[in-house]
Amino acid sequence: MGDVVQIYEDYKDHADFLTVYVREAHPTDEWQMKSNVKDDVCYAQPKTFEQRVAIANDFTKRYKFPLPFGIDEMSNAANDAYAAWPERLYIIDESGRIAYRGGMGPFHYTPAEVREWLAARYGAVKHETPKSPAGVAPASASGAAAPAPAATSAPVAPAK
Amino acid sequence: MNRFWKWTAGIFGVLLMAVFAVLSYMAGSPRDAYGMVRYALPHMHRGTLRVGSDAPDARIVALDGVTRFHIRERTQQRPLVLVFGSFT
Repeated sequence: MGDVVQIYEDYKDHADFLTVYVREAHPTDEWQMKSNVKDDVCYAQPKTFEQRVAIANDFTKRYKFPLPFGIDEMSNAANDAYAAWPERLYIIDESGRIAYRGGMGPFHYTPAEVREWLAARYGAVKHETPKSPAGVAPASASGAAAPAPAATSAPVAPAK
Repeated sequence: MNRFWKWTAGIFGVLLMAVFAVLSYMAGSPRDAYGMVRYALPHMHRGTLRVGSDAPDARIVALDGVTRFHIRERTQQRPLVLVFGSFT
C-alpha cells in the first residue's frame, strides 16, 4: 500500500482517490498466509457487515491510511462489478469511462502503471534519492531495501 | 484395453502430482498451492471491463458504517483512482 499512498500524496491535487475495502483475501478460515500471522493480521472472513466495517477501521487506524476510504457492501456489488478481489487498480476518467484497468493482484498489481498514467497527464513528480556516503554501495546493491525517497512538492513536467 | 486405461490413469496421476509439486514450489507450500487453486484460480480472467468501457456504479459505505455513496458521485470533475483491496 506504500506505493499507492505515495502516489496519492503526489497527485491528490489533480485526481480523486477512493480505496474500496472488499472481502478478505487471506482470512483465517480460508487461505491464511504465514505472513499474516507474522504481521498479526489475522481475521476471519466477515459474515456480517459490522465485522467488515470493524476490520476496515482496524486497517485505516493501524496504518494511518490517508486515502479516502469506502467499504463494499455484503452483496459484494463493487467487487463483482470490477472483478476486484483480491486487489486491483483502476482509473476512471471525467467522462465516467475506464481509463486504466490494472491486473489481478498481487502478481499484476502495479501501482507504477497508475503513476505513469497520472504522470503522462499531470507531469512526473520527482523523487530525490538520498545520496550514499562516499565508498558505500547503494543499499539496493546489497539486497537491502532502498531508502524511502523524498518527494518534491511540484511536478517536474508541465501538465498537459 | 484394461492395460491401456491403467497406463492412462497412471500417467495422468503422475502429471497431476507434477503440476501440484510445481504449484507448491511457486506458491511456497502445498497449502498455498491448494489455496491458489481453491480461491485464486476462480477469480482469474474474471470481469469484462476494458479501457474505454463505462465504469460501473456501485454503492459504497463509509468507514462509519452508515453513510452511503456511489462511486459515480466521485467521477465527475477529475479522474478517480480506484484502489480495491483488503487487510489480509
